[in-house]
Amino acid sequence: MTPEDFSVLFLTLRVAALATLLILPFGIAAAYLLTRWRGIGRTFVETLLTLPLVLPPTAVGFLLLELLRGSGPIGRMLDEAGVELLFTWKAVVLATAVMSFPLLVRPALAAFEEVDPRLLGMARSLGSGRATVFVRVALPLAWRGILAGALLAFSRALGEFGATILVAGSIPGRTRTLALAIFQRTQIGQDGAALRLVAVVVVLAFGAVWTTELLTRRRVRRTEA
Amino acid sequence: MIELDVVLPLSRFRLGVKAALSSDTVAVLGPSGSGKTSLLEAIAGLRPKATGRIVIHDEVVMDTRVGVSIPPERRRIGYVPQDACLFPHLDVRGNVRFGMAKAGRSGLFDEAVAILEIAPLLDRFPATLSGGERQRVALARAIATEPRLLLLDEPLAAVDPELKGKILPYLLSVRDAMEIPFLYVTHNAGEARAVAHEALVLRQGAVVFAGAPDEALRSMSLVDPEARFDNILTGTLGAARAPGETGSLQVGEAMFAVPTEDSVRPGHRAVFSVAPDDVLVSTRPLVGISARNVHPGSVISREVSGATAWVRIAAGGLEWTSRLTRSAADELDLAPGHDVWIAVKTHAFRRLR
Amino acid sequence: MRKSLFVGCLLLAGFALGAADPKPEILVFGAASLAESLQDLATAYEAKTGVRVVFSFGSSSDLARQIQAGAPADVFFSADTAKMDVLEKVGLVRAADRREFLSNALVVVVPSGSTTGVASAEELAALPRIALADPATVPAGVYAKKWLTGLGLWEKIEPKVVPTLDVRAALAAVESGTVPAAVVYRTDAAISHAVRIAFVATDGPAIAYSLAPLVASKQRASAGAFVRLLEGPEGRAEFEKRGFLLRDDKAP
Repeated sequence: MTPEDFSVLFLTLRVAALATLLILPFGIAAAYLLTRWRGIGRTFVETLLTLPLVLPPTAVGFLLLELLRGSGPIGRMLDEAGVELLFTWKAVVLATAVMSFPLLVRPALAAFEEVDPRLLGMARSLGSGRATVFVRVALPLAWRGILAGALLAFSRALGEFGATILVAGSIPGRTRTLALAIFQRTQIGQDGAALRLVAVVVVLAFGAVWTTELLTRRRVRRTEA
Repeated sequence: MIELDVVLPLSRFRLGVKAALSSDTVAVLGPSGSGKTSLLEAIAGLRPKATGRIVIHDEVVMDTRVGVSIPPERRRIGYVPQDACLFPHLDVRGNVRFGMAKAGRSGLFDEAVAILEIAPLLDRFPATLSGGERQRVALARAIATEPRLLLLDEPLAAVDPELKGKILPYLLSVRDAMEIPFLYVTHNAGEARAVAHEALVLRQGAVVFAGAPDEALRSMSLVDPEARFDNILTGTLGAARAPGETGSLQVGEAMFAVPTEDSVRPGHRAVFSVAPDDVLVSTRPLVGISARNVHPGSVISREVSGATAWVRIAAGGLEWTSRLTRSAADELDLAPGHDVWIAVKTHAFRRLR
Repeated sequence: MRKSLFVGCLLLAGFALGAADPKPEILVFGAASLAESLQDLATAYEAKTGVRVVFSFGSSSDLARQIQAGAPADVFFSADTAKMDVLEKVGLVRAADRREFLSNALVVVVPSGSTTGVASAEELAALPRIALADPATVPAGVYAKKWLTGLGLWEKIEPKVVPTLDVRAALAAVESGTVPAAVVYRTDAAISHAVRIAFVATDGPAIAYSLAPLVASKQRASAGAFVRLLEGPEGRAEFEKRGFLLRDDKAP
């Protein structure tokens, strides 16, 4: 592993970690609120939140680019605030967060659904307000599923490419994450260098998914007991 | 004490209960699916679709006509559902303390634990407890919040018959020691009679009877195929009446041969139950019969439901409920006022406490 | 359990927000064919000024797109003037800042060990597959297309073209043997050990690179200094050494 390899690796890990941390509060909140919502709009919102999972990453990247470029609705606000987002590590975090979001929300949603609603009602009759019920009953009972979702989101974040390359380019040291580096090295014929990174990401992804599997399995065992 | 005027649409019918309850223990009876659990949940505030008015001890807990509905966490009503519904991620201690305010009145915790005798269970988790233990923990959890009303949904239904006898006394101690009024849902009219001073009978979401538990019997037999009318006897234990017998129970003027545990001390108060199926009825004096408890009496009333006849008999200074087949009741021509004898085997007496 | 998770999250956050880079640096977007020469010059620049140079090499078309979308580049070195024209039009560079002193030549390369005889454009047209940087937008491909169109061979060659994202990718395609030939710059062939030049496109179009600092740059002084280094004697020497051609800046 060369220093450049390490630089790419650490950049990728930092970005993936940040993206995961960023989506955690939103994902957990969205998942919990969705389970409590029985209205008509729920399916619509669920579909919307699942879209990044199904759309081609370049499509998502394109939409983000349109929103964030100087002429776009959000880009204008950012410009006025003097905030530089596109083609910086912040854009990588954002693109990665958007692509990983459904991977967190769906398992979290499933975990919250598994919590017996009668337990929540019981907590309320014992004097807990809605927020307390969430913190003291729903969250502790659903944490495994949430963690599994977070790990899945993190794994996905490690490999984000299509959306990232559009909104952040492939600037070495700043936005060239693992997947982008593998692509670039392959493009210029540096297969050996590419292979090193491929090996690294395989090991990382394997570890993350393995842990997720372990967590999910323990959960199943417990409910059966 | 409790004014109810609650309407709640359910999947198969509309629950509509209007009643004014004034005693400290009210039994709610009725067949499965008649809305008893939904009524309890509506009172606890767990059914957002409920409308109407609920007043508890002069406080308006809900009055949707003027837009008042106190959220469940502020109603201070304890709810103990049929299956305890304990928090699986907390141990017993954690469950019991759940509703207690941060400052945690340890006095109240200790009292709840003592009354329900769950001290040895405090570090265990709900998954490792038996049905009866879970019920006790759920009860302790509810009373630890100092509720002003306790809603119990068939608290003895999920419990083994032997244990029933152990839990009923706990319930009564809670009521008596902490002076919390109960709303007690049950199928068992005998339980209702032992526990409550007032009864409501529901059928298909409507009240078909409100009044004294004894009289609820009449409505029950008509509406509830699962109705049970155990005979409850409270008396003083004594030594066996004759050699070869087990022990005796003095109830008022009458004495009954009852099975006893070795550790009983004569002079102890005890409560026994006898199932209506175990009360034999004869129109002639009984001789040469194995039953040790034979008493003369007379028929009070007879209710028929399909092929079953429920006969109320006054004997030995008590009122008995006997279940017979309709043909038997017809054949014996059991009508109010007729003289009969009842026979009950020693071992038909089951000790409740 | 909960506490350790919380601490873990904090550590993760700290690590993620990680090392801020205090050293001043400029971001230079450069055509792929300029990689080696610019990197050499950057070392000299860093030694002289203490300012770090971060590069993003790629197709000039993609880099120009990124700049238009707001990429924070300080200097842009494009392989053709068309891309710079676009940026000038939208005010991202100033005409007066443009420097167009660099040129190159097109060559056809084949794998070093290849015995395929390709000595002319006609013979090139006979090959089953040819790699070109995307002729729709990437300068190297646009030049190649112009050359072949001028020879009347484009229609015959077009269906066999394998378009790549930039000229180095076309080079890599030949290096790996996946295509029998590619049209790249002479300077690209020079840095590769796995290809040999089959022939030079002597009748190719005029190639003009365009260099300019960006108006929106936050390091105008450093950007300007770097541009001056590139067009100065040190820069020209480096480019010539690598095989680039120098042209008259005032030429169209």
